[in-house]
Amino acid sequence: MHNVDLNQLASLINKNVSGANATVNAAPDAKLDSSVSVEASHIYKVAEWLRSNTELPFNALQAISGVDYLDYMDVCYVLAHFDVDHPRELILKVRVTDRVEPKVDSIMKVYPAADWQEREVYDMFGIKFNNHKDLRRILCPDDWQGWPLRKDYVAQKFYNGMEVYPDNKMNFEDRDFIVRQAMIKKAQETKAQ
Amino acid sequence: MQTRWDIGEPVKPTINEDTEQLKSELLTLNMGPQHPATHGVLRIEIWTDSEIVAHAIPHLGYLHRCMEKHAEHIDYRGVIPFVDRLDYLASMSMEWGYALAVEKMLGTEVPRRAELLRILTGELQRIGSHLMAFGTYALDLGAFSPFLYAFDYRERILRLFEEVSGARLLYNYMWIGGIWNDWTDEQLDRVKQFCDDMEEEAKKYHDLVSVNKIFVERTANVGIMSLQDCLDFGATGPILRGAGYKWDLRKNKPYSLYSEFDFDVPVGTGERGVPGDCWNRYIVRMKEVIESIKIIRQVIDKLEPGPIMGKVPKIIKLPKGEVYVRTEAPRGEIGFHLFSEQDGKTPYRLKVKSPCFTHTSMLPRVAPGQMIADFVATVGSIDIVLGEVDR
Repeated sequence: MHNVDLNQLASLINKNVSGANATVNAAPDAKLDSSVSVEASHIYKVAEWLRSNTELPFNALQAISGVDYLDYMDVCYVLAHFDVDHPRELILKVRVTDRVEPKVDSIMKVYPAADWQEREVYDMFGIKFNNHKDLRRILCPDDWQGWPLRKDYVAQKFYNGMEVYPDNKMNFEDRDFIVRQAMIKKAQETKAQ
Repeated sequence: MQTRWDIGEPVKPTINEDTEQLKSELLTLNMGPQHPATHGVLRIEIWTDSEIVAHAIPHLGYLHRCMEKHAEHIDYRGVIPFVDRLDYLASMSMEWGYALAVEKMLGTEVPRRAELLRILTGELQRIGSHLMAFGTYALDLGAFSPFLYAFDYRERILRLFEEVSGARLLYNYMWIGGIWNDWTDEQLDRVKQFCDDMEEEAKKYHDLVSVNKIFVERTANVGIMSLQDCLDFGATGPILRGAGYKWDLRKNKPYSLYSEFDFDVPVGTGERGVPGDCWNRYIVRMKEVIESIKIIRQVIDKLEPGPIMGKVPKIIKLPKGEVYVRTEAPRGEIGFHLFSEQDGKTPYRLKVKSPCFTHTSMLPRVAPGQMIADFVATVGSIDIVLGEVDR
């Protein structure tokens, strides 16, 4: 899928960005996608090199997503090269272990596309991006609490005085079903008597 | 390569300084969230210097439905109706992308007839979506009748989709492993007839709108997104092609059976205005309609009877791992980044890379210095669907 020899790419990253410690997460079979992991502290330099190098450049950032594995969180950068002769794709990963104050360097200066993508990751996972110019929530309201896409997320009880999950707001169909079942049971009981 | 990254920095109000002494302060104006020209519930906070936009800040989230969180609690098949609601004007393309992602992980072979019919529906959907874009864009710029023409023809596509899937907008038609219903020969004949009519109709649209003097004045040289900007922001689809870059996944990285088909990739050439402006983005969409018609005709010629559903286990369990699958939807590249755990029945994480999200993020870059009316034209020209931006 990548059209890139990831081992070659990882060694190139290691050669050009010292301390990046790029390793390949090889997928067990061809159905799945492999990725490259780098040190979180070096992501800016790696991104800078990936965009500006001449051997294996990537000229566009497609998406940034976070994944929560409870022990740690991954930030996945999906990069692509829009080139008719050499289309390329790459999944680049960075691991964050701190859940209280997770921090990664912003790559907004290299790929302006990262601006909103990083805001989304911040919104959903609470990962802060250093040197980001305008790190605000993007999809949730500004005063929302908690990080919705984390696995241990519990929605807040009240938002601006409104109850978020009111008890009486049950699924009506289920409630009808329960009521009907109770009625049937009652009817059967009276019949039996 | 010079990368401009200083978005978010308000432009100082110097625009009127040399022309008049009446220097005013910036006025903050909310465009939306119910502004008809925003095609949904998008609020753009614009700082205006008289009639000129000095700075624009889009505020998203009015249509946020936590789709990615929901997907983590639903089995793989159950996610399909949720992806429908991403881009509700091109649901088929959304389903297709998601189904491809799960099929890739599962290793399912999709039967040939199903693949061809997927291409048929996908391309019909593209025409329908572009017709919608055409109609509403003309409406944004003050022309009412093109909207009615476009809806007349879009209706014919929706009728066909309604017959095969039972729904007019949110189809749940492309299932994992194939498609739900087969198309009958009678329906395919109607598709053929539609293609013939649409080709004639497209010429009418061209005469009526594309070369219309008022339309050209409103759109040519307006809202220029240069090629460099497009690559910086990762723009795809008609935005990137409108800037003159020949990039189409169906051609450059073919998925499904697209490599068998003969079609062109239209790009903005600057017949009116310059590549990257509103007019060129618009004309790319109109030319894509013709290319889609070409593909549909070839599909109908290639169709042979056969099964429409591959072998898929009753309960889908995927191996541990991840895939990133991108497909060419009408509005650009939609990407599904799907993570699964060992024998997980639900996605561990599903990230949707939406093209409109990317394109909306370019608005602060193009807005400064535009007239407010031109800004409306620019917002319309990127053809946003807020369902996809907010997810």
